[in-house]
This record gives sequence, structure tokens and C-alpha cells, in this order.
Amino acid sequence: MAVAAISTGNLTKDYGLGRGLFDLDLQVPQQEVFGFLGPNGAGKSTTIRCLMGLIRPTAGSAHVFGLDCLRDYVAVKRKVGYIPGDMPQFGSLRGSEVVAYLGALRGGADLKVVRSLAERFSLDLSRRYREYSSGNKRKLGIVLAFMHQPPLLILDEPTGGLDPLNQQEFFDLVADAREEGATIFLSSHILSEVEHICDRVGIIRSGRLVKIADLDELHRIRFHRVEMEFAPDAKVPVDAIRSATGVEDVVVDDRTVTCTVRGSFEPLLDAIRGANVTNLVSHEPSLEETFLEYYREAPPAKALPA
Amino acid sequence: MTVVTLLALRLGRWGIAGFGLIAFAISLLQTAGFYQVAGRTEAERRAFGRSMSILAEQFAVIVAVPTRPDTVGGYVQWRAFGFLAILFAIWGLAAASGAARGDEERGVVEAVLATGLSKPRLIAARMTAYTLGSLVAAFAASAGFLVGVATGGETFTVAPALQAAIPLAALGICCFSLTMFLAQLGSARSATAIAGVVLLGLFLVNRLSQTFDFLVAWRPVSPFHYYEQSSPLAPYGILDIRATLILVAIAIAAAVFATLAFRYRDLGSPLISLPASSRPASYEMSMSVVWRIPVVRDLYDRRVSLLIWAAGLSALGALFVVLTKEIVQPLLSIPALSRYFSNYLTGDVYASFLGYIWFGFAQLLMAGFAITQVARWSAEDSDGRLELILSNPISRVRIVVERAIVLAVGALIIAAVSGVAVGIEAHYQSIELDRGRLVEASLLLVPFTLVFGAVGALLASRLPRATVGLLGAFAFASYIGVQLGPIFKLPEWVQDLSAFKLYGQPLTGGVDQTGFLTMIGIVVVALTASAIVMKRRDIGA
Repeated sequence: MAVAAISTGNLTKDYGLGRGLFDLDLQVPQQEVFGFLGPNGAGKSTTIRCLMGLIRPTAGSAHVFGLDCLRDYVAVKRKVGYIPGDMPQFGSLRGSEVVAYLGALRGGADLKVVRSLAERFSLDLSRRYREYSSGNKRKLGIVLAFMHQPPLLILDEPTGGLDPLNQQEFFDLVADAREEGATIFLSSHILSEVEHICDRVGIIRSGRLVKIADLDELHRIRFHRVEMEFAPDAKVPVDAIRSATGVEDVVVDDRTVTCTVRGSFEPLLDAIRGANVTNLVSHEPSLEETFLEYYREAPPAKALPA
Repeated sequence: MTVVTLLALRLGRWGIAGFGLIAFAISLLQTAGFYQVAGRTEAERRAFGRSMSILAEQFAVIVAVPTRPDTVGGYVQWRAFGFLAILFAIWGLAAASGAARGDEERGVVEAVLATGLSKPRLIAARMTAYTLGSLVAAFAASAGFLVGVATGGETFTVAPALQAAIPLAALGICCFSLTMFLAQLGSARSATAIAGVVLLGLFLVNRLSQTFDFLVAWRPVSPFHYYEQSSPLAPYGILDIRATLILVAIAIAAAVFATLAFRYRDLGSPLISLPASSRPASYEMSMSVVWRIPVVRDLYDRRVSLLIWAAGLSALGALFVVLTKEIVQPLLSIPALSRYFSNYLTGDVYASFLGYIWFGFAQLLMAGFAITQVARWSAEDSDGRLELILSNPISRVRIVVERAIVLAVGALIIAAVSGVAVGIEAHYQSIELDRGRLVEASLLLVPFTLVFGAVGALLASRLPRATVGLLGAFAFASYIGVQLGPIFKLPEWVQDLSAFKLYGQPLTGGVDQTGFLTMIGIVVVALTASAIVMKRRDIGA
């Protein structure tokens, strides 16, 4: 059996006052796209920094392809491409110089790969780093992480600051990397984002892994709040809406109907087909709201085994 | 006081505290120093005053000629408040460019304006905060003077001491306001440079107009001219109310222009901008060989600052050589200073004076160079650059070693270039310098710089926020300890605590082997400890 790309055992980083990461047991097999979901401050970046050997765990262990992340941190880095949560400052260096500088730390980068990545994201490498927008800085981070075509990519909220078109390009890039055999571990606090690309997701709250879910389960967890307005002369199909699969919490206020939709929108769209809808707004709640809703009746267990 | 003014005061609190402390220390040291070197009898002080006047003529390009330097008031007005004028102008420049454009780049201005505050009120709040801070620091200078006079066992009327602070604060406010306006014109990056060039120009117009007649007509445009009209500390000196009000008027006018410019420009953009040249996008990474070679890539990254340090030290070194010939005799004619210098001057008086004064100052500057590099290491840690560098397959020990080598090579370049400049200028000034000793003295600056770098590396890994302040204070205290310790008759053991003692007097006495080996020992121990700490510490946490 192939060694796991990432494995942690009771990984703990205790910052005191209940902050940090506690007893993380996680296995990410090779060639998987694994999403690490959690609200801000949940412990995603702490986990990633432990994997990168940047911080010392208080207890437990972390391994990448069987290598100890702390003891063998140099060897681990040879196998990893990394995007940090916040891109640092490179001042007056040009994008091309930042790529050459960090590329040289790995013994050089492939010109063709760099060019192809920069073209893919329309990133002008001749501009100075300080002139880059936050989106362009994030694109540069993507180039730096992918340019060595590493077998494992550890990406801390990689789409932050990217516009929807570039987000889609990034999802395609992740899919391509996976096709070529790479394992991808990415953190996010947006459920819909990981749903696009991940095989499995781990959900972390207050430093503890509370759920590992596959795509089907993710769809069950996920919900939307929907608000619909009907034309003054239209008949509001209240009964059809109430009986639609996955539709809950229906509230009718004159010509306005609000409800919660779990899973597919198809049953709701079927229910309102033919009615004169003048406005329909769908809003995805934050991850925290999603999980408050999810655990409304069943409070979270401590840590779950992977 | 508005919330924004309080916020501005909070943002500038370290500047106010730091400059207040420096102003207090400078006026205290100069006042106390006067009693140590000027003598006690009227004749001694008159002789001292004459020597100072001769000396002042050599520095006319920097400070005004003194009035009655044989009195404590006249001397401190010239030595302390003359220098503080330059310091307050620099503070005004730095504070205003930070308030006008630095905070804008950090998003503070955007956040404040988003609360509904108008741009004029924001500028008014920043002006008010700086005015308060400047007054606090200026009155600290007055307090330093009064304390210094008390230590000399004399008394001085309080009113003139307080009056001396008013034009000083007004000059600082004027420079702040002018910079506020000038910083609106160009890009955020060029704001400090534009304002710095203009303020330097105004300073030089006033100073050089004392020498060049064609500049006399331009003197009234310089705020420094109005500052110099007041000298309340000197006997029969006055606080020139008209000149001080003109300074205030310039400050108000500049603030109004700054407000107008701020209103008409977009946030993040300059008022005046050139159309950007269109060029096709490039998707190629740099093929320059410098990025592939360890150490060289970091030196290349710092090339501009290295060039400025090397050029600056060379120019200052050459200036010291030129001044040496002019100022040695006036200084040695003062009995107290003659006794003081007799400890250091051996053999050729000019060579040994140069070795003591210039290489003492060069040590302070090299310590400053090391501190800037340490500050950069701290910044790399806090802004995430170190985290990204360490995401590559390189060891943490290598980071420490490479940083030390970069610092050593940088120091070597600066020391070598400035050493050559001093040697050439000394040749032209007919000062006989032993070439071998000059090389040794210059090269010895490298381990001296490394001492500060290695200790700084260790401090930065434990106390990153406090490192620059602690190292800077230690460097300054070391300099004062060695240079002024004998004048103030500080105990020998206090003087021995100075890092500058390790350097010795290599230009006249050769390399002090004990000092050299101690420096190497400190570097090795501190770097080893720094590497151990670096291996164990959390990065980016």
C-alpha cells in the first residue's frame, strides 16, 4: 500500500486559552484533493504550518510521504509546493525576479512551466511586486507553488483575492495537477469552493477535527437561504414549495417567500415553475452558520477519527 | 480633542516619546558638557568661546554661527538647539510622509475616511497631533537644558528656556506641514524623497546664503531663516515673535494647500502623475545569474542601500579628513579638551585625531548599518517572507549563516570604499596615514559590524519588536560612553561596557588583539545561539 501523502497522529499545537490545534488525526492518500474547511481562527493555518515544519507541535506527529515534518523538514520541502495564507512583501523586486529568487532556492525553475503558469493567469511578471494587486500577488503565489510540479501541494486559502474567472482557472489547474499525480491539500472557509474540486473535506472547529466528509455528505450538509418575490397578480405556490424535497423553514409574507434549501435546487425550481417570480435571491451562509445549523440538534463530538 | 486626533497621537506615540527623549538628552548632555570643558573662570570661558567661534566657522554649512558661546545659554543655543532644528525637521519630514502616504498605503487613511470623516478634518487632526507632539518634545529640550544647568551648580531664568522651545516646535510643525503638502504631489514611494529634497534645499539656501551673496535674496523662503532669528538662551537674545509667527503662517498655508491637494486627488494616487507607458506583458522569469548564487542574490537585492551607505560613509569620511586640519588646533587650544584628547593623540596629531574622531563615528554608523539589516530580518519574519523562503528545501541554519555572510560582505564593501576615500583625501590634505594601519582600521569595522548583527540576530529571534530599539540604544550608549565618558569622568568599568572599546585605536595603535578576539568570540557565540534558536522557534505563528 502506498504511503499516505499526509498523515498526522494526535497532532497538537496548544497556544493556551483554548487556542490552537488539538489531537488531529488525519490521513490524506496520494492523488487526493483534500479540502480543509473551517471558519477563521479554527486552526487551518496552524495545521498547515505544522505540516510545513514551520512551527513545532506541542504533541503528536506529522508526516509527508512518510517523512517527519519536523526532523526531515528540508526533505519534506523538496516534495511540497506551498501557498501561504498571506503573501509577503517583496518591495521593489519584479515578479520575474521573485520567481527567479525563490526558484533558485530549489536549484532553479523550469522556464516553460513558469511561462505557461503566468500566461494561464495573465500575470505580467515584468511588473514590480509592490504594484501588484492582492489578486496578482495571489497569482504569483500560485506560480511559485506549482512551478516545480511537486507531488504535494499545500495551499492555504489559495483563492483569496482571485476573481471568479481566475478562481475557475485555479480549479482547472488543481484538476490538471491531480491528473498528473499530485496530491492537493487546500484550506478554505467557503464550502462551495471546496465542493468544486475536492474528493473529501475535513472540517475543523475550535482546533478540533469534527468531520471528514465525502462529496455526497458535503451536499447534504450544504444549504442555501432563498428569498423569492412573486408578481402581484400571480398565485404563490406555497403548498408546492412546502412539499418540495430539501425545502425547509418556509415563511410566507404576502408576496414574499423565504425558505432553506438543502442539496439540489431542482425540487424548488419545479415547485415554482409557471409562477410569476419577479425576484429570486439565493444566499450561501457562512461555514459557521452552516455548522451551527448542522449541529443544531446534535452538538459536535470531540475529535473524530479520520 | 477628536477621536482621530487621539488616533494620530497614538500612531505617533513612539516618535513623540523617542524625539522627546533625544531632545532632552541632547540639551542635557550639551549643557552638562559645557561645564566640563569650558572651565570655571571668566578667562577660561572666554578662551573657550573664541575656540568655539573658530570651530563654528568650519561648520557654517550645518549650523549658524554662535552668539556668546562662552556662556552656557549661548553655547547650548548653538550646539543643542542648532542641531535639534535639523532633527525636528527630519522628524517633521518622516512623520508627515508617514501620515500622508505611509498610512494611506497601510489602509489606515481609507479606513478612517470610511467612517465619514472629511479629508480636511483628517489633515487637521494629523496637524493637531503633530503640533502637540512637537511641543512636548521641544519643551523636553528646554527641560534638559534646565536640568543640565542645575547639574552645573548655576541657575538660569526659566522663561528664556521655555521660549527656546517655541521656535523649535514651530519649525518642526512648519516642516511637517510642508511635507504634508509635498507628499500629495508625487507617488507614495517618492513622497519622502520629494519632500526631503525640498527641505534640504530650503536648509541649504539659508545656510549657504551666509557664504554666497547671490542666495541672500532667497533666504526669506527658508523656514530655517526664521528659526535662527530667535536665540532666547543667549545673553540679550530674544524670542523673535514676528519670525515665529511667520513659521506658523507658513505651516497653516502649507496645510491649506495640502488639504486642497488631498481633496482633488484620488486616494492612493498622486495629484500629479505622468501617463504610464504601455508595454506588453511579460511571462518570463528573470534569467539574471545573480539570483542563482547564494549571498550574491541578497547583496543584489540590497544594492541600492549598499550603494547609499558606501557613498555616504565615503563622503563623510572625506569631510572629516578636510575638517581635521581646520578644527584640531581650535579644539586643542581648549585646556579641558586638550587634556581629553591627550589620552588618544599620539604621534602625528592629525592622523591620531582622525583615527579617534572619524573611526569612532564610523563605528556608530556601521552599528547603524547592522541595525538596519537586523530590522530587515525582523521584517522578513513578521511580513511572511521568511515563511515563504523556508517553504523551500533549505535549512534554517543556512538562513542564519547566509544572513551573517551578507552582512559581513556588505560591511566589507562599505568599510573598503570609505577607507579608500579617507586615504585619498588624507593624501590630498597632506595628512600622513600609515596605509597598513588604515587598511586594518577599515577592515576591523567588519567584525565590529558583525558583533551588532550577531547580537541583533539573537535578539530578533526572541524579541523581534524590541530588537531595533534595544540595539540602537546600546549603540548610542556605547558611542556616548567612549566619546564622552572621559569628559564626564564616568567610571572606567562603565566605559568598558561600550562595544566601541573592543575596536580600540587601530589607526594609531594597531589592532588590539584582545578586543579583536573578543569581537570574534561574541560573533561566534551569538551566531551559534541564534542558529540554535532559529532551529527551534516557530515561524509565522
